Order: sequence, then structure tokens, then C-alpha cells
Amino acid sequence: MEVAEKKALKSIAIIGNPNVGKSSIFNQLTGLNQKIGNYPGMTVDKMVGQVHVGEKHFELIDLPGTYSLYPKSEDEIIAHKVLNGLGVEKPDAALVVLDACNLERSLLLGTQVIDLGIPLAFVINMKDLAEKRGVNIHTFALYQQLGVPLVMTDARNNQGMEAVRDLFQKENFEVGKPFHKMGFPDLLDEVKREFKLATDYQAFQQLIFADFDPLLPLDQQKWLKDQAKAHGFDGMEQQARETEQRLSQIKALLSSTDSSGKGIPKKFHAALDAVFMHPVWGYLTFLAIMLIIFQAIFAWAETPMDLIDGAFAAASGWVSETFPPGVLTDLLSEGIITGIGGVVIFIPQIALLFGFLAFLEDTGYFSRVVYLMDRMMRPFGLHGKSVVPLISGMACAIPGIMATRNISNTKERLITILVTPWMSCSARLPVYIILIGLTVPDQSWMGINLQALALLFMYLLGTAFTLLGALALKYVLRTKEKSFLMTDLPIYRLPRWQTVLLTMYNKSKVFVLEAGKVILAISIVLWVLASYGPSGQMEALEVEKERALEAATDNQKHELASEFASKQLEASYIGILGKAIEPAIRPLGYDWKIGIALLTSFAAREVFVATVATIYSVGEDVEDELTIREKLDKQVHADTGEKVFNRATGFSLMVFYALAMQCMSTVAVVYRETKSWKWPLIQTIGMTIVAYLGALVTYQIFI
Amino acid sequence: MTAAKLKPRQTYEIDSLSVTPLLVRMMEMGILPGKKISLFKKAPFNGPMAFLIDGNIIALRIEEADLIQIKEA
Repeated sequence: MEVAEKKALKSIAIIGNPNVGKSSIFNQLTGLNQKIGNYPGMTVDKMVGQVHVGEKHFELIDLPGTYSLYPKSEDEIIAHKVLNGLGVEKPDAALVVLDACNLERSLLLGTQVIDLGIPLAFVINMKDLAEKRGVNIHTFALYQQLGVPLVMTDARNNQGMEAVRDLFQKENFEVGKPFHKMGFPDLLDEVKREFKLATDYQAFQQLIFADFDPLLPLDQQKWLKDQAKAHGFDGMEQQARETEQRLSQIKALLSSTDSSGKGIPKKFHAALDAVFMHPVWGYLTFLAIMLIIFQAIFAWAETPMDLIDGAFAAASGWVSETFPPGVLTDLLSEGIITGIGGVVIFIPQIALLFGFLAFLEDTGYFSRVVYLMDRMMRPFGLHGKSVVPLISGMACAIPGIMATRNISNTKERLITILVTPWMSCSARLPVYIILIGLTVPDQSWMGINLQALALLFMYLLGTAFTLLGALALKYVLRTKEKSFLMTDLPIYRLPRWQTVLLTMYNKSKVFVLEAGKVILAISIVLWVLASYGPSGQMEALEVEKERALEAATDNQKHELASEFASKQLEASYIGILGKAIEPAIRPLGYDWKIGIALLTSFAAREVFVATVATIYSVGEDVEDELTIREKLDKQVHADTGEKVFNRATGFSLMVFYALAMQCMSTVAVVYRETKSWKWPLIQTIGMTIVAYLGALVTYQIFI
Repeated sequence: MTAAKLKPRQTYEIDSLSVTPLLVRMMEMGILPGKKISLFKKAPFNGPMAFLIDGNIIALRIEEADLIQIKEA
């Protein structure tokens, strides 16, 4: 039964140039029925949606936006593999979205897809703009020449979508007339035979992609290269030739069908660009927009984050009170529920940031930011497109790293991912505030508050290391890709709320489902390490605690509880580990208690405050920063009688938290974005080493 | 001369494109011999240049603009 159902569901790939409204059409057709998956061995996400038209159901595969089928980045490799059914199931048909105002450019990709021999239909989108500009498009004449059904739409305003649904309903996808005749017939025949391909163009693509497809077996790669060599086939030369000939054929086609149109010049909203792209105002507006976004994230994310925090704390409390005490209850209440809470807590920040980013992207403003910032980023081995991830990193590295998706150069994207966690994120703030309060006097120097100055310095330190780190990586990482900037600056349009909301939803979903697993796993491991110790010690402490509590008066109970919390943490595996690393962290000015806090705060930096409060038995009321600070200020080393949190140790700790990874969620998201454990591991180890050295130098200077 | 030398309010015609790995990419974005090209905006400190080509604004770095040979229209 299920098999029969599966067969009835046809899959259709949707492809088009960037900025033609392809995702608009995809969203209109599928709505919330979208799923994000993986292409094996690739970092690009696979977006699949369900379309229901009448009684029929289709699976719509959203291919990345591309100008042609030539290999330049993973985007094109995926388009190539999907459309030819290489290593993935071949779709039954393709829907190619064309830009009504840029038919020549869109048809380059469109006719390439025709020549692959897959049944298809064209959607000519943005007909509203074309009409405004007086561009004529004769769809019937085009249909006669190309043999492919065409419909005109204005997807933004939901016009013509009925015609698209009608295409699905009637399954009106046709194999077009072969458009471009390729050279090298013998060579292409051999490739066709070897790979069991149907058309010359598929064979041509197979030859071109021989160098680029990471999943093509080596022997096949070699075979293709040998054949190309034997026939004197030069891939790059042939691509250029094909593009040129194809474009002149398209020109002829458009004039013979009277479709080129003599449109009046595009209205560019030049007034907007006069400000947004201005050498001074452009940067100031960008800065202002970013400030507004930050303000909004801090202001709007706080309430939902507090609610989530409270809800999970309540759930955890309810479980531990309701169920019989034991290992399973503890695991559920303190391990799993707290762990899930640690994942969900990021949703407000992620959703808000991506809401704003989608808004700016959809208006067309973003490519202006790339234009403005590219020059500043280049000396550091970064791209204009790295700016938004890095700035987002000042709120939280997680959405920042997730926003590196559109950097097409692998090296620049990787550098951006690797250095973004050095931007000073909001989780460092509680750590800085406690430590600055302990070590920097609340005095003014030339009218500037020293504590504020110290905080500013920490932010600058993070930014400096981000840029220097990028600079260093620029020389370390190797790539054969050349960096370039070639981007369309689309006209400004009003954003579509559907797109904005769907982006917020999808990004949050990806984070929870994919990074969430890793975060949950690590947090359970950390919980076990912090709650259990070697044979019987914890149990002995528990018995001792019960006895002490029985004997105590009500006034003493609170103090006793925090005292035993501290003892239990000391006796746990993580406490033992903290003691074990003490010789290593001694030169940084830390004792084993701080060592334990370093270990537990690998979950997230702000955990440092809570752990320090527990281990110095400050009490469980960690919300009260002033109390923690006062009590920590009184801590002295048992052997020397010196203050634990003196200036050198405080500064050293701040530098450590500025530079160390100390965030398992970031590790998880880097794993998810690079699809391998190699980079998150290198990054974590590298950052820890740099943090260690930075803290060491700081301590030795100030001691 | 190349498009990198283009001044605002001048309209030239694209004559040819240098043969580099970026050639195909330029062509598929609509940067083609015979098209009119003019400078729309220039980012400060020799940053990217935004050109008007065939009704589209396309931003390129100077190195890439330097691959576009232009002649008087």
C-alpha cells in the first residue's frame, strides 16, 4: 500500500537564477509542508516540500539558485546531480523559473535544462515588473520554438499561481526540443555509453563535472579525464564556447518570437541607493540598522528567554518532586529536561535574528551591504558577505554561523565560521560583569567609568582576535578557488511576511533538530560528570548531608545545603577532573575550584557564574549578582591567605572567556554547518590553546 | 581600456572579456560583448564597483572589472 502511494507521488525539481522569486514560488506552493534534509557528502541543505493539487501530490525539490549548470560551487554540483539523477533519485520533471525582465540571462540556464532531456515547464516570474517596463513576451511563440509549456506569474502578489498549480494538475511537463548542438559527437557518445546517459548534453556535463564532483569514484574521474584528453576536449574552453553560442541562439530566439521587448530603463529607486550606497551615509545607515537589530534582539529576546528558562526549571522541579527519587528521575529532571531547555533557550535569538536578516535580504538591501563592506573585509581573508555573520556573532555566534550559508567561496566561509565565536557574544556578558565588578574599581578616569572602559576593552579584544584570527587563517588554509565578487544588486522590493516568517521557522527548526541532538548529548555527559563520583563518595556525602540537616536549625539549613552542594561537586568526576587540571591552570592564576567552573562552563559561558557560586558555596540564589560578587570577594586561598579573585586572576579569567570556545552549542552548530567533526574539533582545540596562552600572558603581566 | 577605468556618467560598450576562469561566470550574468556598460556607484578606498549592464546593477571588484575591455559606444 505504501509503495503504491510512493509511486503516485511525483517529484519535481525547481530551479532558477538567484533573485528570480524561485523561493517565493516554492513557498507559495508548499507553505509549511517543507522539510530540510541532507545531500550525502554535501554541506548544502536539501529543501523538499509537498504540493497538493486536487487529488494529486507532488514532492517539490528546491535546488539552489544558479545562473548556469557549470560547476562553480556546491550549488551547481547539486543541481547537476539531482537533474541527472546521479547518486540521488532523479526527479520526474523540472520547473524552471525565469525572470521576465532578464529572459536572456534566465534562458541560458533554462535551455541548459532543456538539453538535459528532462521533462519540464517554464514559469516566467515577475511579469508585473516586465509589464511596467513594457517588455513583451509571447509565450505561445516561445512554446512553439522551445516545445516547453510556459506560464507567466507574479509570485510576490500571488498572481498566476493558479496556472502553475494547473501545470501540476495536468502534469503538463514536456521534454523540450534539443536547443543547442554540441561538438565532439564521438566523445559524447562514449561518455553516454559508459554512464548510460540519454542526451549529449548530459554527457557534456559529466565531462565538465569530472573535476568537481567530490563523490565521483576516482577511476571514473580518471576515465573521463583520459577521454577528454584523447579527444582534445578542454572543459573551460568548451564552456565558454557553449555559453557564447547558446546566448546568441537565445538572442535570435527572442527576436524571432518578438519577446525581447524594448523596455523603458529599469527604475532603480536611485534615491534609495544614493543613501544606502553612499560612501558616508551608506556606512552610517548600515551601522544604524545593525544597532536597531541588536537593540531589538536584546529587548525582545529577553522575555521569551526568561519564560523558556522558567518553564523548563518548573518542569524539572515538577519531575523531581512528582516521580520517586532515583537515578532515572534525576536523569530526566536535571539531565534531559535541563539539556532540552538549553537548546530551546536559543530559539528567540535565532528566530529574531533570522527574521531581520530575511527581511533585509528580501528587500534587496543585503547585497548593498556586501558591496559596502567587501573592501574592509578582504585584507583579513574574508568576503563582503562575512560581515553579517560576524556582526550577528555579537549577539550570539550560533545564528551568526548559520548565516554563513550564502558565502559561496569555501575558504572564506570556513574562515568566517571559525572566527565568529571570537566576537563578544551576549553569554560572555554575565561573566564579564561579575569579574569586572570584582577586579576593576568603580571609579572614573577623565570622566569615563573604569568598569565601562574595561567592558568596552573586552568587546574590542574579541573583535581584534576575530580579525587577526581570520588573517592568520588566510595564510594557513589552502584553496584552489579564487575569491571574487560578482553579485547582482536587485531592485528594492517590499519584503514578504511569509518569507520572513518561514525563514524564522525553518532556521529555528534546523537548529533544534540538528544541533539540538549534539547539545543534548553533551549536556547529559556534563550532567553525569557533575552529579556522580567514584564509588560511594557521593552517597556518603548524601547520608552525611541528611544527618547534618536533621540536626540543624532552620536558619542553618540554607547554609548547610550550599555547603554540601559545594562538597558534592568537589567529589564528582568533574570535581576530580578540575583538581587534575590544577597544575596546568596554576600559571593562569586559577585554583581547582575555578578549574571545575572552566569544565562545567563548556556547556555555556554563563554557567561559570552558577558553578563558581556553587563551589564557593555562595548559595543557590545565583540571580543576585551583587551577593555573589561580595561573597567571592571574600574568598581567600587556604594556604597563602591571598584573595582568590585578585586583579591578575580576574583579568586572566576574562581573557580566557573572551578567547576560549566554552560553548557546546557553537560546537554543535559548526558541526552541522561544516558537516564534519574535523572543523569543530580543530576550532575548539585552537581556541582553547589561544585562550590559555592569552590568559597566561595576562596573569603574568598583572601578578 | 577596461571597465575598471570607467568614470560616472560615461556609457561605453563591452568589447571583449579576458579569458580567465571567471569568463563563463561573467557571461552568464549578462556581461557580454556588445552590451552597454556604465558606472553606477563606486565603493570608497578602491572597493567594489557597481555597473549598470543591460538593465541590471552588477557589483564587481576592481580586479574583475579589469577583465572587461570596453570601447566607446
